[in-house]
Amino acid sequence: MPDISPEALASLEESAFRSCIREFLVANYPPALRNPPKRLHFRDTKPWYLALSRAGWLAPGWPREWGGMGLSAARQLVMIEEFERHGCARFNDMGITMIGPLLIRFGTDAQKRFFLPKILSGEHIWCQGYSEPNAGSDLASLRTEAVLDGDHWVLNGQKTWTTLATDANWIFLLVRTDRNAKQQQGISFLLVPMDLPGITVRPIINLDLHDEFCETFFDTVRVPRENLVGEINRGWSMAKALLGFERLLLGSPKQASYALARLRLLAERMGLADDPSFQDRYTRLRLDLADHKALYEDFAEQVRRGESLGADVSMLKVNQSELYQRITETMLEIAGENAGLLEPMGGNRELHPSGLFIQSRPTSIYGGTNEIQRNIIAKNVLELPG
Amino acid sequence: MDQAGEFRESLRMVRDSAAAVVPHGDLRRIRALRFTDPGFDRATWKQICNFGWPSLALPESEGGSGLGMRGFVVLAEELGAGLVPEPLISAAMAARVLSGAPLSDLLAGTSLVIPAWQERPNSLDPAADTTLRNDRLTGRKLFVPMAGGADFFLVSAREGLALVPRDAAGVMLSLDRTQDGGTFGTITFDHAPATPLPGHLDRALEEAALATAAYLLGLSRRAFAITLAYLATRVQFGQPIARFQVLRHRAADLKIQWELMRASVQSAAVTLDLESDLPVCRAAVSRAKARAADASLFITRQAIQLHGGIGYTDEADIGLFLRKAMVHANLYGSASLHRTRYAALALEEYDA
Repeated sequence: MPDISPEALASLEESAFRSCIREFLVANYPPALRNPPKRLHFRDTKPWYLALSRAGWLAPGWPREWGGMGLSAARQLVMIEEFERHGCARFNDMGITMIGPLLIRFGTDAQKRFFLPKILSGEHIWCQGYSEPNAGSDLASLRTEAVLDGDHWVLNGQKTWTTLATDANWIFLLVRTDRNAKQQQGISFLLVPMDLPGITVRPIINLDLHDEFCETFFDTVRVPRENLVGEINRGWSMAKALLGFERLLLGSPKQASYALARLRLLAERMGLADDPSFQDRYTRLRLDLADHKALYEDFAEQVRRGESLGADVSMLKVNQSELYQRITETMLEIAGENAGLLEPMGGNRELHPSGLFIQSRPTSIYGGTNEIQRNIIAKNVLELPG
Repeated sequence: MDQAGEFRESLRMVRDSAAAVVPHGDLRRIRALRFTDPGFDRATWKQICNFGWPSLALPESEGGSGLGMRGFVVLAEELGAGLVPEPLISAAMAARVLSGAPLSDLLAGTSLVIPAWQERPNSLDPAADTTLRNDRLTGRKLFVPMAGGADFFLVSAREGLALVPRDAAGVMLSLDRTQDGGTFGTITFDHAPATPLPGHLDRALEEAALATAAYLLGLSRRAFAITLAYLATRVQFGQPIARFQVLRHRAADLKIQWELMRASVQSAAVTLDLESDLPVCRAAVSRAKARAADASLFITRQAIQLHGGIGYTDEADIGLFLRKAMVHANLYGSASLHRTRYAALALEEYDA
């Protein structure tokens, strides 16, 4: 437990604020969960989730009246930096980062009073239902449908990539509520308890042989009418309005930094540290990372100044993910036959080139594929005629 | 406005002031000066001196603006965007080490001092062989930009720096034309009479390398803007070619490389302004120069490709940018030299 209230913490000047967070992490973060190679389940992260909850530190961006810390974007960024530096695992954070802010902005008073405390207590664990088998990059073509029948929405369809849905007891969905409207305009935001009859969750084993992905089926599921958030058919614009400074985080140098340190370790193990051709490649990657950090800092500085991010933040995501992948591709190449090993080399978790290589693959797919990001840059940043 | 805000505002004013010699869109002056002697315009040089640009990076106590390298890279970027051939980077390098009358004459625009420091291709070693004994200079200097326009050479020797009039006895200058329409001078000093000067070029060389990176940043920016405009207007298959996704994605990649170059140059400028430790400064400059050399050639090559056949004509302006990048990319060290230097500094702790 920190001996400082969230209010007092928020009033500290930056360096004291930063060291307070560091001390808290050292004292409270479970050491076994540092830098986990795979996404953890709630059964693993629950104690940490509850520790943050008890400290009042679970929702840095929420206003204090709803149990958040009320931190500025700049301070949230410091907190995220310190969590990343410490190697903190991502927990089941959809309630905190997505549904909480959505309800605070667009929800009714009753919805806020019902849901927000249960997110903070860990009673409600949320997952996200956006993508569908035929609505990935083209999300607005989604077809899962909710039709009003008396006091209930009758829900039919299928969502996919519902990450950690097996951990969740609630799901938030983008659903079609007007078939005749133009694509983005017939979509609403619906909150659904996972224990309703007609819902089936099936884990999908991913390329990393992990079951964090799921697909979720809805077969004539009756959802209370009041579970719709905001105005009907305005779900798309609400979801877009939630895109805030968090988009910066998709471009954080964290993954590439972590991988580069492992590449160096691997090169030493393989006896290549002084090999001139390896040195040349390694130096290029170091420089790429250093320049990426400089670019990231420019965007972080915008956030610190309280400015909102533009479409150009997509550049960070593209560059970070592709740098991360170049590093792990280099690892695979220098590892020799070890590149084919399923498990870490010699049981050393720090030496797992094939694992890191596979884990780097989805970074250019999730959060909007890099091809979609390039479309965004061309259209909204370079303003090329479409 | 807070201090950081005021500083940003000052940088914006530097950028705006550069418009005085950077022609908007019109490269006729630049074209007319290509392959002439000395390759730049003395009236424009005088104007540049009147603006105080050669001393912009100096501390206020030495007659500078107090904006440091952060100010100077903004200026160099704008000059690069206009392909300005006047030798500002060379003169600023001289201003960094001169004092007294030679400095005031340089800053007044009455006497142009150009550093002649290089003795080997692709090297940052300012005094490998040249000697200065009994005020007589002997040695050979290579790749001196715009040497034909110099009134004095600022020469590095093993024993220190010296100032030599261009027309002094024992000074032989020969010029080679460069792809951008300028010249490189090869200067042979045979017991040429020289005035010894205190100081060294350590820091001045780093500043010149970084300013060159900023110049490349500017010319890449303009080359990219011209290319985007071309994509939007050129019609093939019944539509502007900017609609084709492969070209849109290429444009996005060029933009990312340009932004990395910008971030790298600007952060190196901050390092030079705030950091006194030379190895730290050198690592930052090497990072920026390596990125700028690679990215500017990538952008200008792609600019030609995206223009298609018209890009291969001398009449199209876009070629001027490629030719300028070809010359400046390897000035003050190529990308590979700077990568090697960055690695040799072995400052892994500075990566964090």
